[in-house]
Parts: sequence; C-alpha cells; structure tokens
Amino acid sequence: MTTAPAPTRPRASFDAGEPERDERRRKRRGHLLRLPFYLLALTMIAPFYWMLISVFKTPTELNRHPPSFVPGSPTLNNFYDPDWSATQINPGHLQGVFQRFQVDFGFGRFMFNSLIITIAITVGSLLIASLAAYVIAKHEIKGRRVIFIMIIASMMIPWQTTLIPNYVIMRNLGWLDSYAGYIVPALAKAFVLFFLVQFLQSIPNELIQAARVDGAGEWRIWWQIVLPLLRPALAAMSIFIVLAEWNNFLWPLIIVQSDEMANVPVALARLSSYFGGAQHYGTIMAAGFLASLPTVIFFLVFQRYFTRGIVLSGVKG
Amino acid sequence: MGTHTAQPQRARLRRYATSYAMLLPFLALFLAFLVWPLANSLFLSFTDFDGITPARLTGLENFGNLLFEDDRFRHALGNTFIYVLASVVIGTLLSLGLALAFSGSSWPHRIMRTIFFLPSVTSSIALMLMWKWIFFPSDVGLANTVVGWLGGSTVQWLATPSLTIPILVLMSVWGGMGYGMVLYVAGLNTIPGEYYEAARIDGATAWQQFRSITLPLLRPVTTYVVVTGLIGAFQIFEAVYIVFRGTNSVGGVLDSGLMIVPYLYDQGFTHFQLGYASAIAWVLFAIIFVISMINLRLGRAMKEL
Repeated sequence: MTTAPAPTRPRASFDAGEPERDERRRKRRGHLLRLPFYLLALTMIAPFYWMLISVFKTPTELNRHPPSFVPGSPTLNNFYDPDWSATQINPGHLQGVFQRFQVDFGFGRFMFNSLIITIAITVGSLLIASLAAYVIAKHEIKGRRVIFIMIIASMMIPWQTTLIPNYVIMRNLGWLDSYAGYIVPALAKAFVLFFLVQFLQSIPNELIQAARVDGAGEWRIWWQIVLPLLRPALAAMSIFIVLAEWNNFLWPLIIVQSDEMANVPVALARLSSYFGGAQHYGTIMAAGFLASLPTVIFFLVFQRYFTRGIVLSGVKG
Repeated sequence: MGTHTAQPQRARLRRYATSYAMLLPFLALFLAFLVWPLANSLFLSFTDFDGITPARLTGLENFGNLLFEDDRFRHALGNTFIYVLASVVIGTLLSLGLALAFSGSSWPHRIMRTIFFLPSVTSSIALMLMWKWIFFPSDVGLANTVVGWLGGSTVQWLATPSLTIPILVLMSVWGGMGYGMVLYVAGLNTIPGEYYEAARIDGATAWQQFRSITLPLLRPVTTYVVVTGLIGAFQIFEAVYIVFRGTNSVGGVLDSGLMIVPYLYDQGFTHFQLGYASAIAWVLFAIIFVISMINLRLGRAMKEL
C-alpha cells in the first residue's frame, strides 16, 4: 500500500476532473451535478411510499382530503377484515384482499398459481434449453447451424405475432384456463438457448471429451458435467425468466377465464376493474404489495446476480 | 473432434440419434408454439377469420384497410411512435446521467442504484395500479394533492386526452431508467482509468473527457439500451390496458392512449376479428424487424470504422 493520500481513481463520472483544480473543488462540483439525481431519487421513493401507506389506511382515511402521509390508525384490514360480513353492511368495513374473490384461499390461490407456473416454466425451459444448447455447441451433427440460425432469427420476432394462432391452438387443445396453457407454450425460449450456446462455446471441450473417453453416455455428460458448468449462465437466465413469468400478463389475460386459474397480474387487473372508488385502493395496493413482495425479496437477496445477469446478457445478446 | 472418425459406424449413428433426441424437446416446442403459429398468423392476416367460421381468404384487404382506411389504426400508430420516441430518448438520457452520478462502489451510490432499479423488480401491474391511484381524479389522490399545494385546481389526469401520452411516457421512464442505468454503470466500469489520467495530463476539461472518451466508449451500451428500449416500447400494452382502458374503449378517452398492441387486443379479443388482428401483428413485426435490421447494419458499419 502506498502511503500518499491517493487521489480518487479517475473515472468516467461526475468526479472526472480538470487539471490544475484541487480535489475539493472537484468534489464540490461532483455533488452539485449529482443534486438533480438525488431529487430524482425522491420522485422514485414518493410513489412507493404512497403505495405503502395506502396499504395500512382505513377506507375512511383513503377518502380524506387532504390525504394523510402517515396512516392515522394503521390497520391490516386491507388484507383481511374480520368485521366485514357478506350479509350485513358494516360502515367503514370492506373486504380485504383475501375476501374479494370467491375462490378458496382468496388471493393466496393466485399467488399459488403464479408460483407453480413460474417454477415450472423456469425449471422446464432451462432443462430443455440446456439439452439443446449442449448439442448445438458441442455435437457435430448435420443441421445444427441451420437450427441455430433459425433460433437466432426468431429472437427478432415480437411474440405478439404468434398470440392469435397460439390462442386458437390452446382452444383446440382444450388448454384454455389450465396450467398446461400457461406452461407448455412458454417452454421453448430462444433467448435462453442462444445465451447458453454462447456460454458453452466459451468452455473448452476437454472435460466433455475426458468423460466420453471414460465411457459416460451423452445424457450423463449433460447432467453431470454440462449442467454444473452452466450454473452461472443458468442463474442469470433464471432471474429473467422468473421476473418475466411472475409478471406475465397479456397471455394469461387471453387464456384465463375463471377466477380459479388467474395468476397474480390478472387477479390484480380484475380487482381494479371491479372496484374503482378511492376507498378500495387500500385493498388494491395491498394486493399490489403482495404481488411485488416475492420478486423484491428475490432481488434483495440475489442483488449481485441480478446486475451481473443483466450485464452478461446485455454484453452477449 | 477427432474421436468421431475412429468410432465404428454404428456407434456414431447411435450418437447421432442421441444428439437429435436431446434436441427434440426444445425443437418440437419451438416448432409447435413459435414457427407454426408464425406461419399460421401470416396466413390468417390474409383472411377474415373470426374465430368461429372457417377462415376465408380476402387477399390484401386487411392490410389495405389498416394502412389506408382505418383511422383508429393510424391513430394508434401515430400515438405509438410519439410515445416510443419520447420514452426512449428521455429514458436513455436519464439512464446515462444516473450511471454517471452513481457508478461508484460506496454505499450511498449502491443505495441510489437500488432505489432506481426497484421498479424493474416490482410487479408491473402493481405499479400501474399505483399510478392509477396517484392520478386519482379527485383531490384525495397524490398528484392532485401536489397540484393543490402549488395552488392549482383538481385535474382529471386520466380523462384528459392531451395528458395521456405524457403520463405513459412518465410511467415508462420512471420504471425503466434504472435498468438502463445498470447497463451504463457496467459500461463505465470497463473504461480504463488510465485514459482519463492521460487526458488530464494533456489538459482536457471534464467535458472534453466526457465527449472524447466516455461517450465513444459507451457507444455499444448506448446502442443496446436504445435498441432494446425501442423494441420494448413498441410493444406497450399493460400501461394502456390497466391505467387508461375505459368501459367502451381500450385506448382511453378519445383513444388518446391507443397503441399497436392494445389495438391488436381490442380487434382480436373484444371484437374477435382474428384475421384483422393478425394483420396488425404483422405490422408490428415489420416495425421491429426494421429496427433489428438497422441495428445489425449499424453494428457492422461501426465494426468497419
């Protein structure tokens, strides 16, 4: 370690400096240039704060003008109101999120649906894409170039182009309103395959060759060697898939008819189209809070992988 | 892979069979739910398919109607272009600014980055509902409260046609700039500090350093942020559907927020004009294809430079 108070590493930011200027002035200018962005951060926090406090307000308080910025009498009734009854009107009491839908477990049912669908699609699509990627990257078979180019080309297609025929297919198969309708059409993800192939191409063949010499079959090589090697790439991709599937809206909107089979986004949309008055926004925001909680926690725990995954896919994609 | 040739014919055949078997699950699903639907949608775009009676070929009628007759579609197209342009330009500039401001590894910078990235991991429909609540038409809403503090009177935010696209742009920029910021921060961290050192010794001002080192070296990131931004913005649906959809129109008051995909949804799934909706999908396809091609061209041209 050098002892001299090293000047901050010159970098591409507001700290970039001019010569002949002392450190102090440069720092001051950096702060000055950053100021608008700190103010911008306030406009990021304010909507979230507004959402969060609404979750704990009573219907009366939601209708108050001017609005309160700290809930006067914080309540959890927006999740479940024990004093609400379907048969008699109880002023100041509305159904909580878990009482709004006539399905077992209320909103929990949609969380469960979304969870099942997200896990199935994430695991399933990674498995089949890693199999195909292994073949395309490491097997010398006829047609692999054509297949790969076709898959790359398909990444330029907006998926909405296939929306209507896929809807018709689901209807003909009787898969509307079913888990199969959610999961099966979402399994073959071109960008995942593309990313995995690129990742595998950067891995030397020696390990795989050695396993072959030892007499390991291709399936075993895939399971015991390729999948562990792919782990960082699979982690990056799973983040994208989990976020996309948890928030998927347009496709479920089209294939889901019943309340039972709605995922969280569709349930949220229905909630807000059934109830519009200010007093209902406590419940609606509570539902939004529940919908966001899993992915936000997922993010806060795996924050490092998120940015790395985004950057990795951006650099390669 | 030299080992192949040494293997007897039959073992090689078996390896081939295994390879194709491993490829099969992906390929089968890819063909069934992407390639076939794609071809099918192209076919449907030349028909009057309504989802019930068998499709009847109508030639170029759908496209002719879309491009020359259908005022609502032209309106949707115009809205989409304005929205895309505004949201991508503003979003990219702010992403870059944020990255320049908070690219460090100190904890204030890390917290700032987390705050700006938060919308990217929050349920998008929940965010839309949050905006709907913020822009509540009476004075109990947040936006009207702020307007009240500034001495203004209550605004019907979501029912004022001239405010629709600005609000959509606001929601898009607010929700998306943190994502671009993360990409830009990664780009900034790949620029060697020596470049700035050298520039400083040569007497370059901060602005000159930014212009001649930072910006050019960030060009690949900018291209990526802009292209993915364009493609994403053209596909806008949820914001319109959740925040602006009225009882009789998906596009909000006077269709002021009508865009390509919401119109596709409207034609396909409220009016069941599946043939017509397929034609709309192919217009979207064409637009995104052109952007991808320009991107490829640009990329190649830049490599040759």
